[in-house]
Amino acid sequence: MSDVATVCPYCATGCGMRVSVQAGRIGAVEPDPAHPVGQGKLCLKGLYGFRHIAGPGRLTTPLMKRGNGFAPVSWATALDAIAEKLGALKGSGAFALTTSGHLTNEDSYLAQQFARSVMGTDAIHAGAPSAPGLQAAFGSGAATNTVPEIGAVSDLVFIVGSNTAECHPLVAKHVLAAKARGATLIVADPRLTDVANKADLWLRVTPGSDVALLNAMQHLIIKDGLHKLGFIRDHATGFDALAAAVAGCGPEAASADTGVPAADIAAAARAFGKAGSAAILCATGAARDGTLASLANLTVMTGQIGRAGAGIFALQGAANSQGAADMGSAGPVDLPGAILAGQVRALFIAGGNPAMSQRDARSFHKALEKLEFLVVSDLFLTETARHADIVLPAAGWAEKDGTVTNTERRVQRVRAVVAPPGDARADWWIFQSLAQRMGCKTMAYPGPQAIWDEVRRSAPAKFGGISYIRLEQAHGLCWPCPAEDHPGTPVLHAGGHFATPSGKAALVPVPFVDVAPARDGAFPFVLLIGRRVYHFGTGTMTRRAPLLAQIGPEALIEIHPADAAALAVRDGDFIEVGTALGEVVAKAWVTERVLPGTVFATSHFWEANANEAAGASGRTPARVAKISASAARAALAQTRADYRPDLERAVAIRMQAAL
Amino acid sequence: MNRFVIADPDKCTGCYTCVAACVSVHETVGLVAHPRLTVMHTAKVTMPVQCRNCDDAPCEKVCPVTAITFQDHAVQINESLCIGCKMCSLACPFGAITPFGTLPEGAGHPVYGGLAEPIDHDPEPVHPILAWAAGQKAVAVKCDMCHFLPEGPACIRVCPTEALRLVDDAALNQSAADKRAKYSGMLAAVHAPGVASNR
Repeated sequence: MSDVATVCPYCATGCGMRVSVQAGRIGAVEPDPAHPVGQGKLCLKGLYGFRHIAGPGRLTTPLMKRGNGFAPVSWATALDAIAEKLGALKGSGAFALTTSGHLTNEDSYLAQQFARSVMGTDAIHAGAPSAPGLQAAFGSGAATNTVPEIGAVSDLVFIVGSNTAECHPLVAKHVLAAKARGATLIVADPRLTDVANKADLWLRVTPGSDVALLNAMQHLIIKDGLHKLGFIRDHATGFDALAAAVAGCGPEAASADTGVPAADIAAAARAFGKAGSAAILCATGAARDGTLASLANLTVMTGQIGRAGAGIFALQGAANSQGAADMGSAGPVDLPGAILAGQVRALFIAGGNPAMSQRDARSFHKALEKLEFLVVSDLFLTETARHADIVLPAAGWAEKDGTVTNTERRVQRVRAVVAPPGDARADWWIFQSLAQRMGCKTMAYPGPQAIWDEVRRSAPAKFGGISYIRLEQAHGLCWPCPAEDHPGTPVLHAGGHFATPSGKAALVPVPFVDVAPARDGAFPFVLLIGRRVYHFGTGTMTRRAPLLAQIGPEALIEIHPADAAALAVRDGDFIEVGTALGEVVAKAWVTERVLPGTVFATSHFWEANANEAAGASGRTPARVAKISASAARAALAQTRADYRPDLERAVAIRMQAAL
Repeated sequence: MNRFVIADPDKCTGCYTCVAACVSVHETVGLVAHPRLTVMHTAKVTMPVQCRNCDDAPCEKVCPVTAITFQDHAVQINESLCIGCKMCSLACPFGAITPFGTLPEGAGHPVYGGLAEPIDHDPEPVHPILAWAAGQKAVAVKCDMCHFLPEGPACIRVCPTEALRLVDDAALNQSAADKRAKYSGMLAAVHAPGVASNR
């Protein structure tokens, strides 16, 4: 029995864990006692979410579409077919690539090399956005600080658009540690999440109104003279314009926009303005509508940036979302739009399930059907892979060596613990083999370490000092780390020196635009979308981990007791929530966690995927839906969930594939 | 006196790690693979609720077959003796006892709404009282303090935020002593205004 140190494959917290192997399979997972973020703990996904690795349904051989199903083929056949098809599209702009935060840095680097060098396109998508709002303000889109600083240093924690307890449980641990030290916790969230219920001040903002709240806080901070004029003068540009813009953003108007009492907005502003070291935690909920840019303004005007415990802790989604962005996956294209417009005709999806994870998933299905050629590499025959012409069996997180970069920019080693099943191969090998077949003989790396060394050479300022040898000793190193003797950079923008051309933070006014969906008689509700702690993404891995599937067996739609009573819905009844785009049927969870007039659903369950009802209109540079809220109707479901019309077909294809 | 596990709602983040650990350790030793604690979400708090191992336990009193006994400062259920009458579940003031189906010998662990293939079960989970097949019987399931683990309850060990703790003689005495000290400090302030208490 051996014991291998690696990193949890789920969220971007990147907790360290030790995996023991019994009879060639993962036997157990234990937390790494010395890991700086996990600090000897893991959540249930890390501890118990591994049985899918050796579970049934793993793809073990390449598959090619034959009729209504798939036939197993050899790697040579599959790669030759892909090379022939894609070879005809070189340089045409008709090819796009989607990578994800489930790939290693080495996988992602070769994926983007393949797209750029071989296919001649920059259309490379990652599943999750980084932080473009911060990029404009600070010259870097990454989180500014590391998680342990929250528990050790911060005396105020302000959480905006992050369900930290469920989406980053071990980050929440550090928030509670700060609170135990006496730090003030302020949470802005429309839902009573399990960090909102710990808050000293819970600002129950109506969906999409964060910017109104933040502008009013800045208004009050300037009015009360709590801004740091010296820091602003030395380290920022654009303050006068920002001050003029927020001068008209009083708390009374913000109260009307946000639904938060003016006195609470004032209390939040005062607490933030007087804080010693304020940590702002934000996630997907803040990655749009200028919320991040507005948060950047708030930190700079109060000098809450560039010090330990003070900054913007932008929490990424998947284990290597930060790494996927770092490796160059950041195409600006609206992918389904580009496919439907006929611009993109061939697509390679590596390690993602956009058929479920994209907002307005039904349109995305249509886009996938319209594609001339789709290749998917994954561990399982996902909802996306079923649309593919060729499916490639990928090695899973426990079956390959490499590095991943967590939400703190901490580059960490992941290690092969077990052998991949059948003919499954690492994604870097897939892209390299394809490139070689398509004439790119220079892509010939013997393994992940050689690829990483190439990454270090091509981005020495960021990664130059992060070698595999150093990563053997350390629990990761935070980039930028330019030299072998450099300790890494936990705190970005130290001393107020920003990565912008001027070296100063760029303050830009962010006007509040009410993007909340207009409710009317036909659609009186707002549908919010989010996650549950016991599942991840589209459930591809967690629903195949029996313990997690036992704890989270089914989708639940949260609805307020008053709304439930009006609709004669009891807890556990099936309800149907519909929007202009689609509908989702699942069991009702009657709870005060949601506001009256709002319902909350998830995209973990293919049979009840709220993304089929959630709007994708109004894309922003962050490339996620402008606001994860849509006007909706809700009613008791008339029949037992006839979940999805294509269920039988999906199962038929799946059974054929299993042959 | 009795010993029990209790959660602090100010520290519980509702992460369900305790629930998963509970299922895992019991399944490993061949006991029913069903959680012995239930995470409750109310308008104000989130926390797991589990057996308090009452000294004068109603469940023990009503059990017609003496499957429930008080051993080692805790109430224990013998799953082999249990006849599944559910009286204990009705009697428990904390809702800490769940009837759950055992598995027929040799049957694998059921996949609850999972994606593991092949799909050979109804994807809609039913009420726990009905959640088992022919050959199974219902047994009462509740917190047994992981009496089979030398290191004590698994839930306490895995909780990421240290929200769970063991209450036993020593812990209760310490808690009472702390409160007495606090209370006397308050009294001192009342009786001697202007004099700082020793808190």
